[in-house]
Amino acid sequence: MSELVLTRRKKSKLSREINVVVTIMARDITLFFKSPATIIMSLVMPIVMMGMLGGSLAQNMAGGLGFNYKQFMLIGMLVNMLFMTTTMGMSSLVEDHTTDFTQEMMISPVSRYSIIIGKILGSSFGAIIGMFGTVIVGLCMGITLSVSQLLLIIALSPLMCLSAGSLATIIIGVIKNNKTANIAVSLITMPQMFLCGAIIPIGNSHGVLYVISRMMPMTYCLDLVRSVVYAGTPQYNSVVLNNPLVNLIVIITLTVICLVIGTFFFSKSEKNR
Amino acid sequence: MNMIEVKSLVKKYDKAKEPSVKGIDFTVKEGEFFAFLGPNGAGKTTTISVLTTTLSKTSGEVKIAGYDVEKEAKCVRENVGIIFQQPSLDPQLSAEENIRFHTCLYGMYSYRPTFKLMPAEYRKRVLDLAEIVGIQDALFKPIKKLSGGMQRKLEIIRSLIHTPSVLFLDEPTQGLDAVSRRNLWEYIDSVRKQYGTTVFLTTHYIDEAEKVDKVCIINNGEIAITGSPEEMKQNLLNQKLILDADDRNNLDRELSAMSLDYKIGNHIIVPYQGISAQEIIAKLKTRLSVLKIEEPSLEDAYIEYLKTGGQIA
Repeated sequence: MSELVLTRRKKSKLSREINVVVTIMARDITLFFKSPATIIMSLVMPIVMMGMLGGSLAQNMAGGLGFNYKQFMLIGMLVNMLFMTTTMGMSSLVEDHTTDFTQEMMISPVSRYSIIIGKILGSSFGAIIGMFGTVIVGLCMGITLSVSQLLLIIALSPLMCLSAGSLATIIIGVIKNNKTANIAVSLITMPQMFLCGAIIPIGNSHGVLYVISRMMPMTYCLDLVRSVVYAGTPQYNSVVLNNPLVNLIVIITLTVICLVIGTFFFSKSEKNR
Repeated sequence: MNMIEVKSLVKKYDKAKEPSVKGIDFTVKEGEFFAFLGPNGAGKTTTISVLTTTLSKTSGEVKIAGYDVEKEAKCVRENVGIIFQQPSLDPQLSAEENIRFHTCLYGMYSYRPTFKLMPAEYRKRVLDLAEIVGIQDALFKPIKKLSGGMQRKLEIIRSLIHTPSVLFLDEPTQGLDAVSRRNLWEYIDSVRKQYGTTVFLTTHYIDEAEKVDKVCIINNGEIAITGSPEEMKQNLLNQKLILDADDRNNLDRELSAMSLDYKIGNHIIVPYQGISAQEIIAKLKTRLSVLKIEEPSLEDAYIEYLKTGGQIA
């Protein structure tokens, strides 16, 4: 019985928190591969969103815009896929709560932010798969991106996922049942898709819709990606709304605010089960 | 050193009319085995949840291993291991993956995606522990395929693997068969002896609390009585001598002379307190045909306490 328990190893605070983020993220990735339904969903989503919805829009709305609508929509669908799938992934927090697994995470001596960031990054895995699926469906529809454009989008995708996940935490972090969580996912993702410029240009929005669109992190994420993709092209001014640096600052600010509020709500709701 | 210090702890849930825990006080010393008993809804789980930082308190002071549960929650979490009333395992992961996840969360190892990639020390310990509690064949199976007993055993391995100073057990043997219960207690006893772990137990199986150092009964959110199981039995129930003799009349006379309050039924039952059985028997001249000393169990005392509505006998 002399070897019943393991000795704890000394690690720096930062490396320990990074290990927690990686562990929680790895758990979600493990669960992704253990769930055939989730894998199928990730592969079908781009076909539905890009192939069907996008294809229909491209056929019926592409005229008279002054820019290549198909490419505009592809970028929109890529970012929308990251936001939508990350938000859906975050809803697994509700399942973790139902099975009491959140208790296991909450009693561990780690930062609550590490738990949430790990969860967001884990949820992003399916989103990244969906993003690649969208690119492939786009290719099949004859919409291309250069390798450098694709690499830049991939480089920006963790920030997009973090931004989407932080926003989702504010709402999903306090929900306690799956039914409400599913409604919440729709409430978060659908307005963003239509109001942030993913598939419909919002350069002419005004009034309440203008205000709402400017409050949503996805508006700035989309604009940042488009500013990267359209940089140096004649279409830049008709497609991009803000300076990329402004977009980056707003995204980081909104993400940090949402992360702080979301983590606070989540921790508070777990403490008052 | 006190490993658990609770002073005037109050917990009132939102929208509740009255607090679930009403200003309770108690301490648990280092290495002590402490049982927290009470009927359903008495406030046991609420108290354990506050002590383990999973529930915020309304007022009062709670320290675990010298750390304040609210101001130094992270230090408290470093020092405690918990087995919740409801299993808190991930049903989609395997038993080993659940343990790996736990050790990585507690900073014992860097995460590796497979068991084979984890350090040899980890692999050996996990296999050894699985053998001790008898789940070696189920180690790589998904949790949802394990029986309730196996899941409980796994939770116990998980809660002890990071060497906590204080182990909280919230009805740990609920749903376990008799053999599994015994195995678990042997395992917990061995860990206690080896590491001096302080154990805080809540249970519905009162016999499990017979071996503890201190018992505390909570009722309606208030501490009703605290003491060792022996003190508890003495305070709540009298010991009994069961006697009989061929010459029962003579025995009756002798007992009356000693001013003892006894009952005559099939045998003569003599409850006694403040006097030993030896002293009573020594004063009897009548030849006895039946002589039995009945020691009340902690369960008897506990049931008596609840039957009398919390009034000490």
